[in-house]
Order: sequence, then C-alpha cells, then structure tokens
Amino acid sequence: MGSPFDINGGACVAMVGKDCVAIACDLRLGMQALTVSNNFPKIFNYAPSTYLGLTGLATDVNTVSDLFRYKVNMYRLREERNIAPQTLANLVSSSLYEKRFGPFFISPVIAGINQTTGKPFICGFDSIGCIDLAKDFIVSGTASEQLFGTCEGLWEPDLSPEDLFETISQALLAAVDRDALSGWGAQVYIIEKDKVTQRLLKGRQD
Amino acid sequence: MADRYSFSLTTFSPSGKLVQIEYALNAVNQGVTALGIKATNGIVLATEKKSSSPLIDPPSLSKISLITPDIGMVYAGMGPDYRVLVDKARKVSHTGYKRVYNEYPPTRILVQDVARVVQEATQSGGVRPYGVSLLVAGWDEGVEPEVESDDKEKPSGKTGGILKGGPSLYQVDPSGSYYPWKATAIGKHATSAKTFLEKRYTEGLELEDAIHIALLTLKETIEGEMNGDTIEIGIVGPPADHLLGYEGVEDSQGPRFRKLTKEQIEDYLTNL
Amino acid sequence: MRGPTIIKAEDDKTRQLNKHTLMAFSGEAGDTGELLMIRNSTLPMLTNGFPLVQFAEYVQANVSLYTMRNDTELSPAAVSSFVRGELARSLRSRSPYTVNLLLGGVDPVTQEPSLYWIDYLASLAPVPYAAHGYAQYYCLSLLDKHHNPNISLEEGMKLLERCTDELKRRLPIDYKGVLVKVITKDGVKVMDFDNDRVVRSA
Repeated sequence: MGSPFDINGGACVAMVGKDCVAIACDLRLGMQALTVSNNFPKIFNYAPSTYLGLTGLATDVNTVSDLFRYKVNMYRLREERNIAPQTLANLVSSSLYEKRFGPFFISPVIAGINQTTGKPFICGFDSIGCIDLAKDFIVSGTASEQLFGTCEGLWEPDLSPEDLFETISQALLAAVDRDALSGWGAQVYIIEKDKVTQRLLKGRQD
Repeated sequence: MADRYSFSLTTFSPSGKLVQIEYALNAVNQGVTALGIKATNGIVLATEKKSSSPLIDPPSLSKISLITPDIGMVYAGMGPDYRVLVDKARKVSHTGYKRVYNEYPPTRILVQDVARVVQEATQSGGVRPYGVSLLVAGWDEGVEPEVESDDKEKPSGKTGGILKGGPSLYQVDPSGSYYPWKATAIGKHATSAKTFLEKRYTEGLELEDAIHIALLTLKETIEGEMNGDTIEIGIVGPPADHLLGYEGVEDSQGPRFRKLTKEQIEDYLTNL
Repeated sequence: MRGPTIIKAEDDKTRQLNKHTLMAFSGEAGDTGELLMIRNSTLPMLTNGFPLVQFAEYVQANVSLYTMRNDTELSPAAVSSFVRGELARSLRSRSPYTVNLLLGGVDPVTQEPSLYWIDYLASLAPVPYAAHGYAQYYCLSLLDKHHNPNISLEEGMKLLERCTDELKRRLPIDYKGVLVKVITKDGVKVMDFDNDRVVRSA
C-alpha cells in the first residue's frame, strides 16, 4: 500500500479574487483505484465566511472535520463571536502540531473573508500544521501537482466573483481529469463579504 | 459556632455561607486601596505603594502588573497571593490562548480564566482561597468593522467588549465572581473612594481626565505623602510603539498597557 | 473461511443494533466474506463470511444501552457516527479492529432509509448501495448500472440476484451462498433467497 495520503484520493483548491475568495473540492471517495462514493464533499463550514477543505485519508477527513466542529463551537460559545479565518488557521496549526509524532494524514486548506477587515484570506497546511500563506491560490490532494499547473495557467489578480468561479471551476475540473484518484463531480464555494454561493459541478463521471 | 464551619472550605455553614471566603474578603478590605476608571479611549489603574520602613527601596516594589501587552492588573489584599495569580494569569494567557490561536486573549476571556483559578481555590481540598481582589483593565481590538464617523471630537466609538472592542475594566473577588465596572475601587477605603468616584465620574470621560480623577480619589484616601515614589499608576491607552524596542516592522503594534514612570506621575501631581 | 479452509458454511454476520438499524460486518477483504447492501425504501442485503463479533457486539451493547437509558431509538445517522467514532478510536490504538461495516437503517422519525459504508480505517460515507471485499469489484458496476433512487424491494431483490449470480460466476471460491435481510420501518426480517440456483458460467 502506498502513502496514506493517496488511498482515498481527492482534491481541493482555494483562490483569492477581488473582495472575494473561492474554495472547491472534488466529490470522489475511493479505495485505491476503486471508487466507493461520488458524493463525499471535503469542504466544511465553520463560520458565515470561513471554510476548511480537507483532503487525504478519508477517516482523518471525518475525524478532523468533527474535531474542528467541536473546537469552533466551543470557541463561539466562549467568546460570543464567529471565528475569523486567520484565527481558525492558527487553531488548525496548533491542533495538527499537537499530533506531531502521530499525525492526521490530511492536507487542510482554509478560505474565508475576515469580517473585521473585509479582506480575503486563504492558506494551506502540511499534515503537522505548518501554515502556507499565499496571495493567489492554494492546492491540495492527489491532484495537487495538476492543480499547480492549471492554477498557474488560469489564475490572475483581482478576479470578480463570477470570473473567479469560472477560473476555479476550470482549474479544478481540468486537474482532476488528469488524476485517476480525483473527480466524479465537484463542489465550489464563492465567498463574498455578505454572500456565499455554493455550486455543484457534475464533471466527468468516469 | 462559626468556627465549627471554618475548618474546611468545602463545608457550607447552616446559613448557606462559606465563611472562609468571607474571611478572605476581610483580608481584602484591610488591604491598601486600589482603583480603576474606564475612559472612552483607555483605562487607568492606580494604587498607593505603602512601605513599612523608610529603608525600603521603592522602585523595586511593584503592585501593578502587565499580563498581556493590552491587559494589566492591580490588587488589594495579600501581596504574595497576588504574585501567584499574576504568574497564573500570564501563564494561562499563553497556554490557554496564545499558543492555540497565536493571539492574546480578549479581556473577558482572561478575566474568566483568572476567575476560574480563584474559584477552584474555594472548592478544592487542602487549599485556602486567594486573599485578594483584582482590578483587571484591558483593551480589545473588537471584531465589528470600524464605522466611519463624522464626529471628530469623539476619539473612539468603542465602549469595550469582544465584539465592539475598546476598554473594559473588571473586578475579580476571592469567591471567583467578577464584575464589569465603569469605575470602582477595592481595599480599605473602597467605600469612600467609590462614593467619591460616583460624584466625579461622567460619561464620555477621556483618559487624561480619568488619570486626574484617579489621583484626586487617591488623595482622599491616602495615608502617607503623595509623590512619584508612593503612587503607582498603570494605564491602558494608545499603542505605545516606543516600547517595542524596534521600529519599521509592518503590522506590529506596541503594548497598550504600560505603567507611568515616577517622572510622569510627578508631572500629573504638579498639575493636580 | 480461513485461508483455503471452510470452517462454517452458514454464519450470520449481521447484528441488529436497534429496531430499525442493522449492521453487517466482515474482516479485511481476502480472508473473509463479502458484504453487499442496497439502499432503498427497503433494504435487501446479503452477507457471508467469518466471525468478527467482538466489535459488533460492543457496538450493539452500547446502542441498546442508549435505548434503555433514554427510551429512544438512535437514528441510523447517529448510530453510524457512533460506530465510526469507536472504530476511529480503535484505529490509533495498540490493537485496532480490522473490520469493514455496512450499516443500514430506517430513521424512526422521518422514515427515511439510509445506508452507510464504513471501512476498517473508519472512513464513513453515506451511499445508495455498497459492498465490501471482493463483492465490490464484481457488484458495484452492476449496481451503478441498474440501481435507481426509487428502486422497489422487488426490483432490489432482482438486482441482488444479478449480483449473486455474478459472484457465483466470477469468484474463484464457493462462498456458500448469502443471507438476505430486509430493513423496513417495521423492523428487520430475513428474506427467502435461493442460494442453490445454478448460473451459467461466462
């Protein structure tokens, strides 16, 4: 068996636009080459404009998304406010590093808009919590190499929400078509200051 | 009879009191007066630095402490107990918050954490309650976006709290209860100081006025002479970038909490 | 079955967790049997394999305990989450259970049927139909083609027959037939199923 990151497959990407961010994932869940489900979303919502994408080992996607649901709910009750994307990033980082010598086999991605500053925020992590801050885009999953290519080719600064949707969708679909372990439909979130649009992309079903 | 219920802290007296906590409050009420006043753009904490001997070296004695760069604390009651609480407050602000979120706790969260430490001492075996009341002053950045205001006179629309941001002033008692105040006093002359503050406090007070009122209040209750050596003042004000020790680093902000120097206090005293 | 030796021909590898929820379990693919479930308004399923009862009974006991304490049935969604949690905890312990699960149930409140696929790594996915072991390779393509969201019990049983026919045809071993159970809003019942039908080889 190969790396635990590659057993179930899956891809996730986040992008910054003008006063907006986008995050998208594929829907496949597999066991090596066999597809088990084509309805396994990998993006989770933790505040009105804060989203976390998780790719890697499916069991850890389940475990970690549940863990942060608990942690963020406790944060909201304690502080009587929503968690900001930057704060969630630091929480993810410290929580993953806590498991430094027995890590979760996941590559998280955060996308959101900070409600205080109104500024878009994206970042990625390795499995032990090192934060990867980026101004343009973040990729993760078994199609990450392909995503680097498609994003480098398609992304440009200051995209409008509509153009950002088109860009992230094409980048993801093109990338997962070139990865046997990702695909089978996709989910896209376009996050603006007071509005979030969720779209389902059918994609190739083969 | 009361003695029969004072040997164990976890024992209620038939009247429903935990007398050890009341004794702890007695210790607080014998302590040197400390006071705090919240202004629109900051907070002042003030207390008297009483020394039992003229041979004592005053600058080495400190009753007002920085907990996080934006939060400070003063006490009335037992000095050693206070030092323990300062240590625990500083520690919990890191272990319970900064190491998790990479930012310092909002004032209310810090106060709740300290209050929990204090409360635990009223319900655990083999310990006694802390013999101090605390005044905790802090500034929160707030998460609500800043609203554009035409009113240039008002320095800040922030009135305190995690959401709005701005100054907050809390009192923590030996029981573990905590109260938010606009202005208050603790210690020996707390009652008369509070009466004085009630008369002098006005809404929309600014930090400079608050410092002035703090000194006037202290003057009412002070037993010894009033000068830069015998008075201690801590303020929460605008970010003190000169205290950073470096400059030219983007997005870094100096501490809002700082203690006034002997010279600064004496300047205020001459203008009293 | 262990290696090439058949130990027991008929072995029920399901546990009823509460009135509306049934869990089928098997060890890792290769050395035990196959599991197959189809989600619908009714749920035909078949199992066959070697006992791996410890975990199943632990789960069964805890779900019953909840029902006894609270006088309420847990929904299949809640049961699946509990089972996954326990399996995930076991995964990072000194001796993890290597058990694959299929969990089917009808929600006692909404009457909605649901099916959950859980593997030994504690990955959880809600699915319309599922299988574990070699059955996955032989049956999923059939199910992909012939399953539809509104499939009836009758059609479901037909589809199941297609699946077992394929297993008989393709599996290099005699898997000794299947046990079929159906979960409806009225509970779980065993279905008659002709395991002796001879299928034409490919």
